[in-house]
Amino acid sequence: MRIHDQKLRSDRMVFYEKDIDRLNGELDAFLELSKARCALLIDRDGHQVTRRGEAVGSSVESISALIAGSFAATKEMARLLGESEFTVMFHQGKRDSIQLQLVGERTLLAVLFDERTNLGLVRFYAAEACQRLADVFESMSHEDRGAALSSDFSADAAAALDQLF
Amino acid sequence: MVQINFAQKQINAKIVYYGPGMSGKTTNLEVVHQRAPSNNRGELTSISTDGDRTLFFDYMPLDLGTIAGMKTCFQMYTVPGQVYYNSTRKLVLQGVDGVIFVADSSAKGMEQNLASLRNLEENLNEYGKSLATLPHVIQFNKRDLPDALPLGELEAQLNHNGAQTFEACAATGEGVFPTLKGLAAAVLKHIQNDCGGGGLGRTGFHAAAARPGSGVASSGPQPRPASMPAGGAVPAPTRAPAVQQPSRPQPASAQGAAAPLKQTGFTPRTAAVEPVASSAGQLMEPASAALEAPQKPKAARPRPAGARAPAPQAAAQPAPQAASQGAAANGAPQAGRAKSAQAAQPGRRTRSAQAKAPGPAPAPALKMAGPSKAKTAAFVLTAAAVGAVLAKVVLDFI
Repeated sequence: MRIHDQKLRSDRMVFYEKDIDRLNGELDAFLELSKARCALLIDRDGHQVTRRGEAVGSSVESISALIAGSFAATKEMARLLGESEFTVMFHQGKRDSIQLQLVGERTLLAVLFDERTNLGLVRFYAAEACQRLADVFESMSHEDRGAALSSDFSADAAAALDQLF
Repeated sequence: MVQINFAQKQINAKIVYYGPGMSGKTTNLEVVHQRAPSNNRGELTSISTDGDRTLFFDYMPLDLGTIAGMKTCFQMYTVPGQVYYNSTRKLVLQGVDGVIFVADSSAKGMEQNLASLRNLEENLNEYGKSLATLPHVIQFNKRDLPDALPLGELEAQLNHNGAQTFEACAATGEGVFPTLKGLAAAVLKHIQNDCGGGGLGRTGFHAAAARPGSGVASSGPQPRPASMPAGGAVPAPTRAPAVQQPSRPQPASAQGAAAPLKQTGFTPRTAAVEPVASSAGQLMEPASAALEAPQKPKAARPRPAGARAPAPQAAAQPAPQAASQGAAANGAPQAGRAKSAQAAQPGRRTRSAQAKAPGPAPAPALKMAGPSKAKTAAFVLTAAAVGAVLAKVVLDFI
């Protein structure tokens, strides 16, 4: 597997408050229409970007990591089958189900829903939401986005490590 | 890939334990999970086979605390070490920010160490990365084995990039935290170099990386991080230096991450400065000993000749910590590995009574909200009108 996308290699994901507000707005609208329980936006490295809706359990971080890993494994399966990528995944449970969908190049939308709605409705509105979210990411890509951390970051980091370890 | 979220004031980085099969990667993570403060660690999730071999990865989030106003979290992964799981190893490496290479110190493990190191470099190259530039440390594990190779030989064969190296016996927990601390310092320093001090890191989210970088100070309409002050381009320290200074014996330098580490006894070894014979009996660093000593089962416990020490028992841990660790309380050597199935906590689900009320969901058209419903009504009326006109025309024509 050769990763050709240079952006995947070099870019760092930086989110500002304004970005999260826009993403949250889209997710809230999606949740209202689809009646899903929860929408998680996760980057493909497994880091959560934002979450809207109900809480999904004790460890959102673990769920995010597993979703990213699951999607990565599916991509490899797709490659072996001659597909570039499977963009949608669905896991059905007795009560709760989850749909995963690729948003743009580097982000995943995970939708957790139950008997209050159905797969068709979620899939229909998720497709629309993903397009709108992709547009948000696209507009973000045209902005200069400096990741300016405090100049005391290193010193604070050393102190934090000393305290933790 | 480091994710910096100024809205949530959070930095996420991905750390991967890499190495040959059975070298102790999962054991390292288990020890971190068992001994890290409960407020800082998340659940340990393992995707493993019935035989407790890692199938996809083990995962645990670790909260390092608030650094310069940003909550800093490490997402820690292990990879399956067996040769035929290379595809999954490669997937786990996607977006990695730092690697701990766990090497088997035994003589018979050297060939596998070398193969795994080559494999790591190849897989990193697939993502456009290299050990030459990626923050990484090497842990020489299983130092308690009778056939453990001398440090000099391990250094010469495995450490080609001058990385920090650490001795360890992960089964007893020795050397695990010094290794993690060494990598954490390297990763945080890397983050600082990339985007600290008010300077620009590589710009951008996606396509912006290709844009010519303009300094923060000259960026008029550029979005400002939520944590930045309104007036200046360079964010003010979130903690006043005057307050920090007394707590640190030495002022922060450009090598800020490294200096305090040495004060606490952190002495990374390199081939150039480390006498081979001097470190054989002293695996624990003083700073880590303070953390680990109360939790070690029995430092002076006699071991059978040639046998490796057992994993730490949960009973040896402080009571509150042991009680909070679920599976670790079983006392079994591998009890610290919390399976993903155990991680589910249905009791913590938050669902309102109103949410449970409806029966089967109606058809999508009936579930539409206000604006969509209005659109549908307008469409129906328009269609009816067009149909009526069309019918009238057809009837007139007939």
